[in-house]
Amino acid sequence: MRYQIIIIIVLLLIPVTVVADIVVVVHPSNSIKELTRRQVVDLYMGRTSHFPNGQQLKRYDQPNNSSVRAEFYFRMTQRPIAAINAYWARLRFTGRASPPRVVSDHLEILEIVEKNPDAIGYLKKKHLNDRVTVVLEL
Amino acid sequence: MRLFILLFLACPISLFFGQNAGASDLGNDRLRVSGFGTLGVTSAGKENYGYRKELTHAAQFGSFSMFPDSVFGLQLDAEITSKLSATVQVVAERRTKQDFNNIVDWAFLRYQHAPNTVIRAGRMGIDLFMLSEYRNIGYAYLWAHPVVEFYTPVSLSHYDGMDFIYSKSIEQGHLEFKLYGGQTGSDIRVSRGDFGLRMRPLIGANASFETDHWKTRITFAATEVASTRSTQLDRLLNALDQVPQSVWPQAAGLPELISGEGDWAYYYSIGMSYDKNSWLIQSEFALTDSKWPSVALTNGYLSVGRRVGPVTFYSIGAYAISLDKPTRVTPQLSDPTLHQLQVVTQNSMNAIHVDQNTFSLGMRWDLHPQMALKAQWDHTWVRKNGGGLLILREPLDHNITLNIFSLNLNFVF
Repeated sequence: MRYQIIIIIVLLLIPVTVVADIVVVVHPSNSIKELTRRQVVDLYMGRTSHFPNGQQLKRYDQPNNSSVRAEFYFRMTQRPIAAINAYWARLRFTGRASPPRVVSDHLEILEIVEKNPDAIGYLKKKHLNDRVTVVLEL
Repeated sequence: MRLFILLFLACPISLFFGQNAGASDLGNDRLRVSGFGTLGVTSAGKENYGYRKELTHAAQFGSFSMFPDSVFGLQLDAEITSKLSATVQVVAERRTKQDFNNIVDWAFLRYQHAPNTVIRAGRMGIDLFMLSEYRNIGYAYLWAHPVVEFYTPVSLSHYDGMDFIYSKSIEQGHLEFKLYGGQTGSDIRVSRGDFGLRMRPLIGANASFETDHWKTRITFAATEVASTRSTQLDRLLNALDQVPQSVWPQAAGLPELISGEGDWAYYYSIGMSYDKNSWLIQSEFALTDSKWPSVALTNGYLSVGRRVGPVTFYSIGAYAISLDKPTRVTPQLSDPTLHQLQVVTQNSMNAIHVDQNTFSLGMRWDLHPQMALKAQWDHTWVRKNGGGLLILREPLDHNITLNIFSLNLNFVF
């Protein structure tokens, strides 16, 4: 009982903003084991199409209307999802970068990242399995 | 025309069938079709003073029109190999001259030489401003239309040539350098008639630095006016050519000022933007230096936007002013034919002179992940002999004000 109270107090003390429940994942064979927030921003904002080790990558996005997508981009850039959509329209229609492929849900993200060494995706931590490598927690 | 309307109707429909995908994959990962469009209505201009947001467009002399802002584009991206891709973009809008050459906005090959370097060749957007490569894609920017003072004077949307891009992420942000060269041109309409403008060579360089919330870019470009084709202009130049030097000595020097052929134009600009949480601020300033008075001007704007939920409210202040004062035709001649020629020459030279400011208020409502509704009011002050961005049916011999109302739906699919 005492432990439960301590745990509850500790949980209450953790500011909501640092609750890390979105994870960025890659294939286990990828030599990249960790990425910084800035590196993930560069990857998902189309500034580079390569992992920091020079390996070409394919990015995957959660559905356009999903809350996990809005939360992921907001944590990375502090911009609302509408601003991200407009930003990607810019890159796409100037031929600078192809937007991340949109998949239907976290299961598809896992399925793709498990099979493709060049894939990168993100999902809620609670949906994680042990067949992918977490490179960043947001 | 009917095809144009059909295309517009087809787009929003395709949007809803497109579901989540931002674009349609044609069977595999390597081919992607996407599109964009704006369907809008604009109230602008007055009986003798025509408004247009692009020099390539026909002017609007009052009442409502769907043409100034409405545009529809399709883009095909093909990944040929992991390093080589091709992009073609076609754009339908109401231009003064419609031909295949103008409709194909982009058509280029992109080669990713190394993770940091990209080489492109073909037809590409001229990278002069923050919006230069996406001024047709209303969904991609905040305002109901690009700032007239800043974007209208440069009628060039694309060039044929090559560019080289080097980018690097450093600890503080992302750096990008770009060098390009080629040739360009556009078919525009000004008060003294239709113009075929050809610029060759065109060379330029940009540098930009982007942090989480700030973006700064500086731009330089230089180009030579290779030819200005226009029947009205040729007629005027021929007439001036026949004037005896002893009667009107100034006439000999005027054709060079009017035609611009052989003159160079140098473009310098600086732009900054800030985007975080509720605030969206952007500003650009430019100087176009040239011996040709038609293009020598300085311009700039400041735009401040504030997001409230899915709606962004914004205001813009902008100015554009020619570097040269309008040339005065002297001395006044008594011969009626020559006097008439002097009046036409004087009016032509005044008609290219720019001196205007605009204050705008507007809102953008992101009502769908691929669709935004925008409304904007512009109040423009145009000073005497400063209507170079308008189409003038009579000389502008006094100050005027204009109101422009725009309402448009912007989408991408």
